[in-house]
Amino acid sequence: MERKLNAELWDKMHYLFRDYNDRMVHLRLDYDFLLDVEALKTVLICFFEKAPVLHSAFKDNHINPCWLVKPYHIDEVLTVAYPEDVDAAADAFLTQGIPPESEIQMKVAVFFKDGKSTLCMIENHMCMDGGDFKYFMKAFCKNYNDFCEKGISPIDLREGSRSYDRIYSDFSQTEQRMAKNLYKNVCSKDDHKFPLTPDSIRDRSFIARRKLSAETLQRVKTAGKALGATVNDMLLTAYFYSLYSLARYPETDSVTIACAIDLRRHLKDTENEGLTNHTAWMQCNVPRRGKTILETLQYVVHSVNQFKQDKFMGLYGLPLLKFAYSAMPYAVSEEIIKIGYSNPLLAMSNIGILDAVGLALQGHEPTDGFMTGAVKYKPFVLLSATTLHGEMTLSMCVRGNEEDQKTVEAFFDLMEENLRALCQAGQ
Amino acid sequence: MQNNFISYIEGAFAGVSDTDTLYRYKRGVLEKMTARANEIAAAGLQNEAVLNDLIISEFPNLQEDYANYDRLERKRRRRKQMNTFLIFGSAALILTLVLAFLGIGFLTGAWSPAWLLVPVGILVWTAFLLGVFVCRITEKRRLFHPIARVLLALAVMCVTVSVFLILLVAAAWQQAWVIFPAGVIGMYIADGIYAFVTHQKLRIINYLLYIPAAAPMVYVILGGLSVIPWHPGWLIVPLSVLLDLILVLCKIAENSKYKYRPEVDAAWNEN
Repeated sequence: MERKLNAELWDKMHYLFRDYNDRMVHLRLDYDFLLDVEALKTVLICFFEKAPVLHSAFKDNHINPCWLVKPYHIDEVLTVAYPEDVDAAADAFLTQGIPPESEIQMKVAVFFKDGKSTLCMIENHMCMDGGDFKYFMKAFCKNYNDFCEKGISPIDLREGSRSYDRIYSDFSQTEQRMAKNLYKNVCSKDDHKFPLTPDSIRDRSFIARRKLSAETLQRVKTAGKALGATVNDMLLTAYFYSLYSLARYPETDSVTIACAIDLRRHLKDTENEGLTNHTAWMQCNVPRRGKTILETLQYVVHSVNQFKQDKFMGLYGLPLLKFAYSAMPYAVSEEIIKIGYSNPLLAMSNIGILDAVGLALQGHEPTDGFMTGAVKYKPFVLLSATTLHGEMTLSMCVRGNEEDQKTVEAFFDLMEENLRALCQAGQ
Repeated sequence: MQNNFISYIEGAFAGVSDTDTLYRYKRGVLEKMTARANEIAAAGLQNEAVLNDLIISEFPNLQEDYANYDRLERKRRRRKQMNTFLIFGSAALILTLVLAFLGIGFLTGAWSPAWLLVPVGILVWTAFLLGVFVCRITEKRRLFHPIARVLLALAVMCVTVSVFLILLVAAAWQQAWVIFPAGVIGMYIADGIYAFVTHQKLRIINYLLYIPAAAPMVYVILGGLSVIPWHPGWLIVPLSVLLDLILVLCKIAENSKYKYRPEVDAAWNEN
């Protein structure tokens, strides 16, 4: 009999986001040796069996959608190729989409060239977010190493509930009642857009990237410390300041950037949790541009600190979503949520550090790599940031044209310039 | 491969003597393990040791699982016995009631109150059957609970009708009609208790509706039995609305204890 998995609240929400992005999470890791394909296959099959949502098809039922666990063959999951141009092959692989109705929700590719390997992965955001994808990768590498080096079966992957309400599990009963009473629509109402061209049928997905060297990032950290700001605050400030000049917003305009926050901060231990989404938005707002970038930084720090002081940070709106999904049939609730929900036009997700030691395979740390969020459809944009070996990769996935790509590159130039200005101010 | 699974299953129950239930459980687990192994092998996993470990990891605690299986098996057997009892019991009861009615009628000639045995007996038995179904449906998902609540209301009505018949025919109580409005109140009370016991969400709405709906019934019963005068007895109805209001205020007061008012509210409003 066909196995069914419950479609959790965040699965449904990310399905709803199909109008705003392609729902894929992307990862690329480069290694300076040849990966063992058979071992990769073995680990992947074990992980797919441990997390059956990865080989399930989403069934959009009008009453109550669900996941249907499907049979698959590892060759549908893993692609092995020997391209001439690895970057082009990796980009082509990463910018593809996996339809939710597909029988697999994760695809992996290994590209070999000149004794080096490039590991690329894409997965449906409905299955798990960046936080759990990072865990997945770490577990993947650990299991791969244990299997290759010690012959230990690669079956050590977290299993458990994927429900959104696991996030309340470490609260006291009173706190749980408080958190579950936070019925509030917390969507951003800001209309400021990233200056992209209008939609066109000729648009294609691309991942624009800019790397900040380890020295630059260290300078940002040091300056941030001196200015009482985190790296995240510095990035957000540069983001705001760059946008004001790139998009020519009036200096007196108030602008909001949604910043992704990992709700697992409310959990003491995630050991018994299944792979899922536990991400919400924090709306970071500046009332005006500020005469100098330091003034903008003050606004950002003030806005972010207000959220950080909140015990239930990120939990606003969850009870409202839960109520909407449980009180009405799915098709109706989706339409109603669409009315009340406004997807942030400007967003940032600092995925954080990709632990090079944890991602080492057979003793080889990745030489380069990044993880990034979904390809956004215009006019929505998401700036992702990951750090590997102390170097930060800023990335923006957009479905656009060459002009858009140039605009994003110009934005990265401004980001670098503004980060330099912040560093100088912090010296 | 299968031998490994058998060894694992046998190892988990080493020292436990085989019973029919245990054997069926072991056989079932072995079949599931083999089916899963075939499924995963079809996905392309060639390493037999890994396949073995992977399948075994999916069945981590056989003893605990068996305890659960055994409990469900006992429950299934009890339910089967109960179903048999209900089917044959229903037939036997109807037969007994009819025979008792005929016996009493022929022996004593008191046909008039004797006929009560048949409808009252059947109604009470129906209420019992409905009660059994209510319990069974309650064990299912919340989605089915509204059905249980309808059945519970029907059970209360069955009891109400039988009490009415007894009071009217056997006791010749002329005011037996009050049993019907009392039955409606009984339905509300039974549903309110059901909502409380099964922790239904938003049950407060039920209570808020039932209180003013039951008030006119109470007024009619007490007025009809001359316990209270019709005027100003009607005050019961507005008082019930007041009671609702008090209930709402109590609920708001209770909920306000769990209201979180962070400073960040201001930030949301600014946005």
